[in-house]
Amino acid sequence: MAHPRPDPRTVAPAVRRRGAHPGSVLRYIILTGMAVLLAGPLVWQLSLSLKGAGEPLYTQPPKLIPEHPTLEHFSEVLHRIPVGHYLLNSLTVAAMAVVGNVVGATCAGYALGKLRFRGRGAAAMICVAALLVPSETVLISQFLLIRSAGLVNTLFGVVVPTLVAALNVLLMRNAFSNLPQEFEEAAIVDGANAWQRFIRVSVPQVKGVITVVAIFAFVGSWNDFLWPLITLSDEDKYTLTVGLNRLRGTFYDDPRLIAAGTIIALVPIVIFFALLQRYFFRGLESGGLKG
Amino acid sequence: MTSVRRPSTLVAGLALGSVLMTACGTGGDAASDSSDGKLSGSITFQTWNLKNEKFTPYFKDLIAAFEKDHPGTKIKWVDQPAEGYQDKLSADAAAGSLPDVVDMGPEAAYTLAQAGVLLDIGKADPKAESQYLDKAWQAMTFDGLGGGTYGYPWYLNTGPSFFNKALLTKCGLDPEKLPTTYDQLFDQAETMAKSCSDTTMIARMPAIETFGEYGVPLMDAGGKKFTYNGAKGVEFVERFRELYAKKGFSEEQLNNLQTKEVEEFKAGRLAYLPGSSYTLNDLKETAPDVYKNLAIGPRINNSAPNMYIESLVVNATSKRQALATAFAKYVTGSANQLVFAKKASVFPSSAGSLDDAYFTEDDGDPATVVRVEGAAQVKKAVVWWPPAFSGSADSETLREQIAQALLGKKSAQQALDDSVTYSNERLDANG
Amino acid sequence: MTLSADRGVSLRRGGARPPRRSEAGLATHRWFVTPWLFLLPALTVIVLMVIVPFVNTLGLAFTDSTLLREGEFVGLDNFRRMFDDERFTTALLNSTLYTVCVVPCMMILPLILAALVSGAGRLAGFFRTTMYLPVVMSSVVVGLIWTNMLDKRGLVNELFGTLHMVAEPVPFLSDRWLLLFSAMFVTVWTGLGYYMVIYLAALANIDRSLYDAAAVDGAGVVRTFLNVTVPGVRSTMALISVLSSVAAFRVFGEVYVLTGGTGGIGGGDLTMTMLIQREGTGLQARTGYAGAISLFMFVILGGLLLAQLAMQRKQRTP
Repeated sequence: MAHPRPDPRTVAPAVRRRGAHPGSVLRYIILTGMAVLLAGPLVWQLSLSLKGAGEPLYTQPPKLIPEHPTLEHFSEVLHRIPVGHYLLNSLTVAAMAVVGNVVGATCAGYALGKLRFRGRGAAAMICVAALLVPSETVLISQFLLIRSAGLVNTLFGVVVPTLVAALNVLLMRNAFSNLPQEFEEAAIVDGANAWQRFIRVSVPQVKGVITVVAIFAFVGSWNDFLWPLITLSDEDKYTLTVGLNRLRGTFYDDPRLIAAGTIIALVPIVIFFALLQRYFFRGLESGGLKG
Repeated sequence: MTSVRRPSTLVAGLALGSVLMTACGTGGDAASDSSDGKLSGSITFQTWNLKNEKFTPYFKDLIAAFEKDHPGTKIKWVDQPAEGYQDKLSADAAAGSLPDVVDMGPEAAYTLAQAGVLLDIGKADPKAESQYLDKAWQAMTFDGLGGGTYGYPWYLNTGPSFFNKALLTKCGLDPEKLPTTYDQLFDQAETMAKSCSDTTMIARMPAIETFGEYGVPLMDAGGKKFTYNGAKGVEFVERFRELYAKKGFSEEQLNNLQTKEVEEFKAGRLAYLPGSSYTLNDLKETAPDVYKNLAIGPRINNSAPNMYIESLVVNATSKRQALATAFAKYVTGSANQLVFAKKASVFPSSAGSLDDAYFTEDDGDPATVVRVEGAAQVKKAVVWWPPAFSGSADSETLREQIAQALLGKKSAQQALDDSVTYSNERLDANG
Repeated sequence: MTLSADRGVSLRRGGARPPRRSEAGLATHRWFVTPWLFLLPALTVIVLMVIVPFVNTLGLAFTDSTLLREGEFVGLDNFRRMFDDERFTTALLNSTLYTVCVVPCMMILPLILAALVSGAGRLAGFFRTTMYLPVVMSSVVVGLIWTNMLDKRGLVNELFGTLHMVAEPVPFLSDRWLLLFSAMFVTVWTGLGYYMVIYLAALANIDRSLYDAAAVDGAGVVRTFLNVTVPGVRSTMALISVLSSVAAFRVFGEVYVLTGGTGGIGGGDLTMTMLIQREGTGLQARTGYAGAISLFMFVILGGLLLAQLAMQRKQRTP
């Protein structure tokens, strides 16, 4: 836990007294097992990126510990690719995606979850329909639109199609309509308008879900490959995911180099998530519901 | 591919889809190609995954020299990363924003030419033909589209067969008698299956170019219909079926793509790997144990060995057509091709370049042997892949259908018939 | 369930809410415009960038268009072709089976994981990050890893062999059905972290006095989970069932990477999205045919969704 206080949810006395030891040992065993299952493959990728030239990569069974560990593949990646520049582009795109989704989805989610008006059902149906659209089928059509809007080869053009994702609107709608009405009602009695109620009463209570939306928007825009590739034509506008594809050789690939590239691309997301999840839980404790 | 070139009749009359009417995006200045033949203006030149430490200096020098020879011209070089090139080309083609000169293979060129987007070089620049190897020029000449030539031939690639000697010896075969024809290969593969259960000779399903190498007629004379479902094609699939029944080809391998085939060879479970000049060094670096036991032989074929070709096409809607044509011809000229081929370990398609000492003199180094033999092989080789067999959907369908035949779900004939029907339908839909 | 902290969400209009909810609580707005102002940014992007392009694509479904050639109206030809296409039948079966198997796992397993993680004390942050890692890994890496694990000579088969659980290596990657199940496993593996995050946010909103009350009643871990946690996140669970059904029916990445992009031996593991991708992308794309398959898939998913909503409504009304 990111904070020193005990977690109020798990300290229910009876539960604690009853099975503190065997229960929590089991909990940690399961969690550790899951952690190995979920994160283990990444360790394998890391090992691959550290293996020296001339080391066999295709032995059976695979070897996890490199015989001649080296960081040369990482410096090679940094040398070949302007990682700093592409990182900046990726961060710009991701920042726009995060802001767009947090603001757009939160506002829309509030309207759909908390306000009553004619056409609400229709608006919700549009979001649901958008959720069902397979992105593969609209790619070219989107490209033609972005092109006619003159946004081709701009970072803004990269972010536009996912500036507000229907999925996030539905997540926020769920969060808002889960809130109890009492606060909202009290605020109405106090004469607060929709905007004031939104900012002061409702938003603070859904910080956790807003964080989830921010994470999804960040990760989604960070890993997107095909769309930025199609929209961008100048290399100096490339995002990191597209730029790292330069590590693929024309006539053959070095798997170690590619592994080092994937690790480099992963670091910012892991940092972003690690930071946000701390904030996320602090937010939940201060703004969440206290029975 | 037939070797007789037909006069172009159809090309100019091809209607353009409305989306294609938009002119291409060449950020050029106001100057136009003047009538006295002096080149001016600016064009965009797009390569595929060639901007890296190894090739960037070459292209920078190449462009600088051209711009110096033709003052007032500007070549903007863009390069696309390895993945997603087809998607990028599709989006640009649909939006009418293809660059002026584009690096692509004949199968992409075929579909674009079919839609009327590419310049017929044979018409626009008929003198160019003599500057290229005849077979390279033929590979860019599309019979199905009235015999127009839709791209300047660029580099060629072919390679030897690699064998794992240790496996051959272990499984009752003589490493001194490497197979050279498909019949020998199948026979040896069956012997290997009998003596060793965990290793195989072949690990990949036949692709359209292997049908060509086996001697199967792939298309009719007019280049309009696929014909690989004939008796010869069925015979080829039947050989695979027998091998599969004798466990010389595993169920898992029915799904293998090239990467998996290479991996199995590197892991020492596969005895035969068709490769390129790059394979040798790759094996040395990533699979040293296999490298120690390597035997190298010519590419296996019954008819003629296969090679691949890359070309530079010119956008028919380019505002600077003269400049684009001149530049594409310049890049694929023999002097420039030779330098590039040496840098990239590929083979030049320009006439006479293969006679360069670099491709003929053997100094005993394994890499040189591979190169010299490769160059000799180019002289015999054919670009088997029919340009009309476009895109991955055709290849995937062929592989899936053959797999169904091997699994006994269909007869070989039925599987090939279905695959041919599918590819013909797609070809017609785009016509 | 009276203890429920669930505030009755659904994807349907307010009018269908359970009667116990006070409709007065939903603020009726004096200005008709205000709600639309809230919706404006989101709806603009969604309509312009998703709905409009999709309607364009659907229009093609009744033509014989290809990417580079505008087609002519051909009526229902594409749909006829679709029902004759053996790949379509395979893809429909595979996608349906995928949805049926994956969705229940996605609704339950991440919740258990979230409940375990949220009580993990000091280490919760570490576990949350670790569990989320598969979500952020590129599908290429995921594919590489799992093909290595599930290969005939892979770690999993080696383990089974050592334990004498199997006589012959299990053909996870070549048998049509096993491959599909392996892909489902990978989907669940990546989805665990993804949906866990959503559940974590929902768990935090459960009224803590309910846990105290359960504790006073002497409820054990399992009973507390079933009686407090599950009802407390029911609306989120409904949302996740919708999201994961859509994702499962449209599965692409996991099957794609496990088969090396081939759709399985003989095309036996093609899914709907893979079929759309094969027909609808590339220079030779038959956009008309791909549009028809997309339209069909859209209708199926819409039907699936409506069925789920109806079921949820039925559960909610006692």
